[in-house]
Amino acid sequence: MSPGVVEATNMGILQILPSGARQGVDAIISGFERLGYVTDRSLATAIYLVAKLRKPILVEGHAGLGKTEVAKVLASFLGTRLIRLQCYDGLDVSSAVYEWNYQKQLLAIKIEEGSDRTVEEKERHIFSRDFLLERPLLQSIQVEDTSPVLLIDEIDRADEAFEAFLLELLSDYQITIPEMGTIRAKHVPYVVLTSNRSRELGDALKRRCLYQWIDYPSLEKEMRIVRTRLPSMEEKLARQVVGYVQAVRRLSLSKPPGVAETLDCAEALVALGKPQLDEEAIEQTLGCISKSVEDGAKIRNAGVGRILIQSTEGFG
Amino acid sequence: MISAKGQPSATARTIVEFCRFAREKGLSASVHETLGALDAATVLGLGNWDDLKFGLRSVLCSSKEDWDLFEHCFEAFWRGAAPLSDHKERQPEERSSRGGRNTTSLMSTGLGDEVSSEHDGGQAVTGASIRERLTKVDFSNLPQSDMVILEQISLRLFKQMSRRLARRRRSGSSRGQVDLRKTIRRNISRGGEPMNLRYRERKPRPHRLVTLLDISGSMSSYSLFLVKFLFALQQHFRHVDTFLFSTALVDITSQFRGRRLQDALLVLSQLPAGWSSGTKIGGSLREFNQLHRRKLRSSDTLFVVLSDGWDTGDPGVLAAELGAVKRCVRKVIWLNPLLGLKDYQPITSGMSAALPYIDVFAPAHNLESLLALEMHL
Repeated sequence: MSPGVVEATNMGILQILPSGARQGVDAIISGFERLGYVTDRSLATAIYLVAKLRKPILVEGHAGLGKTEVAKVLASFLGTRLIRLQCYDGLDVSSAVYEWNYQKQLLAIKIEEGSDRTVEEKERHIFSRDFLLERPLLQSIQVEDTSPVLLIDEIDRADEAFEAFLLELLSDYQITIPEMGTIRAKHVPYVVLTSNRSRELGDALKRRCLYQWIDYPSLEKEMRIVRTRLPSMEEKLARQVVGYVQAVRRLSLSKPPGVAETLDCAEALVALGKPQLDEEAIEQTLGCISKSVEDGAKIRNAGVGRILIQSTEGFG
Repeated sequence: MISAKGQPSATARTIVEFCRFAREKGLSASVHETLGALDAATVLGLGNWDDLKFGLRSVLCSSKEDWDLFEHCFEAFWRGAAPLSDHKERQPEERSSRGGRNTTSLMSTGLGDEVSSEHDGGQAVTGASIRERLTKVDFSNLPQSDMVILEQISLRLFKQMSRRLARRRRSGSSRGQVDLRKTIRRNISRGGEPMNLRYRERKPRPHRLVTLLDISGSMSSYSLFLVKFLFALQQHFRHVDTFLFSTALVDITSQFRGRRLQDALLVLSQLPAGWSSGTKIGGSLREFNQLHRRKLRSSDTLFVVLSDGWDTGDPGVLAAELGAVKRCVRKVIWLNPLLGLKDYQPITSGMSAALPYIDVFAPAHNLESLLALEMHL
């Protein structure tokens, strides 16, 4: 990327973030919180560096801890577009970067049949931008006005070939289409990658990124999250739910509940009109917390009552 | 202000020194990361301690393990809280405490591999002669000192093997659907009439693999390697089911899937699978047939048993159950570590009962024999 590009895109963020580093990080924390995302200083500092150094950030952590949310909130914080690429096994360039609109091309060839254009002209016509289907990665470097946020979700699910391709994109922010030439980024996107650590990512990709590990939140942080997301909920009930989920996490389940599950459970309790968490309520909302039969059985066997007592002990 | 260019300031030098310190402790703080750290320090300034720490952490780390290690590095370097050696001593404790009290030998060696490969990085260059020797040595005769090297070699070779397997299938596949993009390209000169069709090769569809690994006492010196072998193998089959058995059958497919090797080993060591107990091959196969037979497909399933054939159960049951399996799969492969012994004869009652139903009977006592399996897969 040329220095000019960086300067131009940095203008946007400078208007939002105050000048000093400390104030900048503070602004991110409060800004994110306003958008309903409770963050800590560690993540906010990393986000600040993403904005300043224009490096991609790799966010790892267990499922349901708001990795994807980071990108969404960053986009609304910066007031810019979010472009999302969901990775999966077998993801290839034609669904991630671009594809030609074949049907339209075939029609165009038919229409052009009688015309007196040369073959070269016809070719240029059907391989022009009108016939290009832009997929997320190409979109992300084509945005006209500001830098978008590019979310590459669950990169560990894509295969190594795709990872290698991504590497190329993230170092030069340009994409080459054989029929059209090279397209350079107008504005370098803010890139957020997430991974569930289902496989080890390549060293080259990891080195190019800032790194952030998101752990299960502490009791206080999770309380703040629940209070922020569900402000209408009674504090006592919120405390019970958070304490209960935190206790369940210690049970070594195959899929420990994340924050998303805590919020589901809390919302379910509100919907059921439960004033407090009791055995019946736990049974009714078990599906929010455990996503497999075995885990459910474990939670039951561990003694719901005992967990409840543990969770209330924490608050004296 | 710190500057990466020109005359380095005192603070810049400190950052560089910290990076070197972190590298010694096992973080991958190469020149690239060091420059990143300098940039981060420039942006964040030195005013706020926490911000600097968080910033450097996000630059210098690239995995959860780094993340945990960084904490110690930072404390040790700037606060002088813990001397260098202290952390190194603490590390094994921490790791084993993650695995709980009853960590088996499988675990400790499994993690040993992780520590060495991550922390030595590129330094671990193994000589060709050692490699030659180690690929032939029987797992059960392996001196403890060679264990780590052998594991590194084997992981690399297993990876190479599975990559070769994947490639081989790709070139052998048949015509798939029409590749519109190439077709249009080819036929522009004919007015777009698709006369000359181009095909997209069908994505390789590997076999399904079902493996049963014997983890009874007689196999204990081999089990660890075989588990790793199975792990490497599963990467390149579309569908893999993995089971452990001794006196009973344990399905470890879900423990294996979607995890990294170290994490998978950690989980396995905590399973009540009956490590190093007796063997009932026939009974385990019967259990398999009752519960999991629908996973077999005669068209494309490879059924692999890794066992020494020492069976304390009824050989008649073993024969009947293996025969039932045989009818539902493409190939039955039996890997027996004892086949590596010079004068071994498969005359134990269990083994001889099983022999008629086995398509490939091969040794699995050293790395070389495992790699030789490639041609049967």
